[in-house]
Amino acid sequence: MKGMLKGMGVTLKALTAPKVTTSYPDTPYMMPERYRGIQHFIPELCIVCNQCARICPTECITLTGKPNPDPEKKGKVIDTFDLNFEICILCDLCTEVCPTEAIVMTGNFELAAYSRDELYKDREWLTDNNTRVREDNNNIGAPQKGGAK
Amino acid sequence: MEFDLDWITQEERQELERNVFLGTLEQVKAWARSNSLWPLTFGLACCAIEMMGTGASHYDLDRFGVMFRTSPRQADVMIVSGTVTKKMGPLLRRLYDQMPEPKWVIAMGSCATAGGPYVKSYAVIKGVDQIVPVDVYIPGCPPSPAALIYGINKLQHKIRYEAKTGKQVT
Repeated sequence: MKGMLKGMGVTLKALTAPKVTTSYPDTPYMMPERYRGIQHFIPELCIVCNQCARICPTECITLTGKPNPDPEKKGKVIDTFDLNFEICILCDLCTEVCPTEAIVMTGNFELAAYSRDELYKDREWLTDNNTRVREDNNNIGAPQKGGAK
Repeated sequence: MEFDLDWITQEERQELERNVFLGTLEQVKAWARSNSLWPLTFGLACCAIEMMGTGASHYDLDRFGVMFRTSPRQADVMIVSGTVTKKMGPLLRRLYDQMPEPKWVIAMGSCATAGGPYVKSYAVIKGVDQIVPVDVYIPGCPPSPAALIYGINKLQHKIRYEAKTGKQVT
């Protein structure tokens, strides 16, 4: 009898407990700040150093540059930037190595598609993907410009 | 055969429009099917952990009528979550063939979609669509439970859309 009352007490307590289930499709689900969804690309900042393409474990980034249209300036500007999101494993290495933070993570996760072709993200798509962009892109405390002190 | 609808008053007409829904039988079937998607638990790797988490109380897939079945005979949709190796491929095809029609496949995660981190491996099938037809691809490594819910909702939309318009989505 005592055990039964104890059990019923647990049940009654659970009745008034707050709900744990999200109402996700009805209300947007806000991912934590460090959540890795899909990259956002800023073409103006890119210096075509190819570091992201080289560090990518699955080699899903391909990019090409062209000479700077301004003859006064040296260096290259980005021409095409393609991300094969099929095999991107969201390891965050491309955003870590990027010296100018031209490629940053966003918290957008609603990426399911009916065909594999839709998962090839080009430069325009990644540039327009500018919501929920991660604020702090150096959360590992990497040395800033000028090297480690 | 002709219906004389002139005797319906304006108030009755409003009442009827609010309470009587017209649709084809296909739409009713699609409505029923899309709201009782019973997936076959095809957990193969870390994506399976995420799929189990989606079924648990925080995300709660039961809200959408998604109840996991362990038998292909009772399942409508196969959520391929994880790396499909060449050894697992024939078994996956057999389980797919054992599912009753109508059936759908969700490729969850990079591995099931295109091979993911094992894209250069000799032992992994580069995309489950090489052996079974896939309806929805969910990228991510692994996709978060919310992304899986989004993919399942997308499949429900596809079922209803195809029944409503008779057109194939992609």
